[in-house]
Amino acid sequence: MAANPATESSLDLSWLDLYEDATSAEPGKKGLTLKEINLGRYADTARGAGDMTYRMRGAIPRPGAQRFGPNYQSKADVWAENCLMLYEEATQRQWSSARDIPWDTLEPLPDELERAMCQLATMLTEVEFIAGDVPGQWMPFVSAQDFEAGLFLMTQIMDEARHTDVFRKRALANGGGLLAQGAGLGLRTLIEARDFTEMSVLMHVQAEGFVQSMFRMGELIGQTEADKRIFRMSAQDESRHLAFGVMHLKYVLDTEPERREEIHHYLDKAEGDAAGGGSGDVTFPPVFEALCILLGGGVDKFDEGLQKFLLLRKRQINEYVHRLTVAGLGDRRQRLGPLMAQFLDPA
Amino acid sequence: MSTGEALARAAQAAQVEIPQEARDRARELGWEDGLIELALAKGHSLQVIWQALRGGVDGKRAKEFLQGGQAAIPRDLSWMHVPTEWGIRARPKDPAMGLTIADLMIGTYGDVPDIWTNRSEIARGSYPNPVVEDMGYTIFEKALVWADCCIPLYEEAIRDRWVSATDLNWNSLEPLPHDIERAVCQFMTEHSERAYVAGALWSGWLPEISYGFIELKLFLSTVIYDLARHSEAFRKRALANGGGLGLQAPTDFSRVAREARSFPELAAILFVQDSMLYTLFSRGDEFAQNQLERDLYRLVARDRKRMLDYHIERLKHMLFKLPDRRDEQNLYFNKAESRMGKEWLDPAVSEPLAILLGGGVDNIARGREKLRELRKAQVDNYLEHLRQATFIRKHINGRLEQAAQA
Repeated sequence: MAANPATESSLDLSWLDLYEDATSAEPGKKGLTLKEINLGRYADTARGAGDMTYRMRGAIPRPGAQRFGPNYQSKADVWAENCLMLYEEATQRQWSSARDIPWDTLEPLPDELERAMCQLATMLTEVEFIAGDVPGQWMPFVSAQDFEAGLFLMTQIMDEARHTDVFRKRALANGGGLLAQGAGLGLRTLIEARDFTEMSVLMHVQAEGFVQSMFRMGELIGQTEADKRIFRMSAQDESRHLAFGVMHLKYVLDTEPERREEIHHYLDKAEGDAAGGGSGDVTFPPVFEALCILLGGGVDKFDEGLQKFLLLRKRQINEYVHRLTVAGLGDRRQRLGPLMAQFLDPA
Repeated sequence: MSTGEALARAAQAAQVEIPQEARDRARELGWEDGLIELALAKGHSLQVIWQALRGGVDGKRAKEFLQGGQAAIPRDLSWMHVPTEWGIRARPKDPAMGLTIADLMIGTYGDVPDIWTNRSEIARGSYPNPVVEDMGYTIFEKALVWADCCIPLYEEAIRDRWVSATDLNWNSLEPLPHDIERAVCQFMTEHSERAYVAGALWSGWLPEISYGFIELKLFLSTVIYDLARHSEAFRKRALANGGGLGLQAPTDFSRVAREARSFPELAAILFVQDSMLYTLFSRGDEFAQNQLERDLYRLVARDRKRMLDYHIERLKHMLFKLPDRRDEQNLYFNKAESRMGKEWLDPAVSEPLAILLGGGVDNIARGREKLRELRKAQVDNYLEHLRQATFIRKHINGRLEQAAQA
């Protein structure tokens, strides 16, 4: 008779055979990504009820596990169908503000242009600082049943750190410095959010959407190759954050349509407050003036810059409404705050 | 027609609703009733009118402009001349590392104050707006959070980034004996959860820390990102070779970290875990079953080393600046050691490691002997890490001592 090691050595081994199915995820074209391991009883579609612990989805519940305090129990509260893909994309596309920006291409600029760029960088380093704090605030409440959403938020924290640092670097790299603090940028609405979906629609969709539309005009705003690269690289990251927000909103509206009016309320507040500019408001006077100078090419071309600024604002608003429409909130068009509605193209 | 004209006409055509905020602001600035409507009728867009209002154009100037005079958009450009330090030209000290945040620590921009007083999200070194809302930060004291090493560690973390999906050779995995594979999977289940919890906990403290310590916040962001990657990499390994996720991790230690009421308490508690895990993963070759696991543990240990470096220097700095808080730290270490000792005795924690160290259930006695050596090394190194932080822990918690010898 074979020896029973569990008995002979006082082994417990109760953990050894808690499951019978064998899982062998295989790498795909992009390696072994979260998509490849999202299978069987480990898949998001097999998600069970949460238990207020941090038990990873698919792990066997531990008898006597202690609760950690409230976290979101419903998948719709935090989920976006693209979060697996976005997480892996984020890990693949991390970049270095130290080495991936051609700092050596910076050249002395006319004083007014350098000051305008530094003012914009001052505002952006401030905005991105909050954009890192906000997902951090919500991480403890994201259940490990939906851990991919949590992983994505952790990549966003990293992205925003890099943005905070790259704009600070830009302000201090070309003979300038930081200038006036932003105020009334609408950032308080992000940190005031009391619900994940509220936070996501205001930060991911609205604020990061506005920033993204601006970054995509970086070829016009940037005065040097380094500036343009900063905007391009940052826009790449913002696209992920925005995509998460749009798909999270879509998931909520698809699965909990009764929340539609509640979400409108959050947007009513954000569009109405912050001087009507929304979260990440670029109409704050120093930012507005700096953008007009950069877009025009100097103080003496302020009026040309103003016309381009209005185009930027138009682009921001129309892309914002388009994104909301994609998410299923197309009726926002009829409720848009007046300072935004003036720029809206006909449907 | 110019773009501006087109936009202006479009605004007119749309019969723009004038927001109450604009009317209120116009009243504050002494604009006569009907002046906004007049501006709209003259083809100015609401946005331009709003910019004038935000910029403080008073009623007299607005009226003069609309009667055919000067620019309505204020161009005082006062932000161009705020008294911040100007003329900064940061350059890379080490071309291989590029332009690092260490290179930005020049002039007044390099001053990290002992006490940061601004309650807004102002960027350190920029010119403060006199009237701003309180953003709710609670950590304003450098001694609680700061370590000089966070500056180089931030850039090193970015330089050393890796990707679990493609930097590990998943195709190299080969079937393992049942007991070994199950032990690997149980180990991975535990550590996937531990990393996720630690990432969530650090994340939750980020919004508490004010901008005065921006470099520290940047570094913590890399820690959070590292922990995300550890969590998913361990999960991937559990699901890649014929096993699965096992029993969830014990909750004792993570709960005590979650219970921390201050940043220094959290840091002290995680000091214990991060020191122990650094030693564990840096000795990963002893329990790795294949090259993939060796690579994984080596990468994780490298990341953990940065966390540990931060812990040591932060504690050392805090004890130097706040010597009256030295004894208090014993309370946190004791609590954390106690929970860790309890978890080390948990069969789902100790047995998988013993099986992996011994080479199978049949060699469990040998595995336990090796585990005792490993636990001793973890405790010895932990005490040494504390010593490096100038903290002498005279007696470790009895439960941990007992668990290390079990």
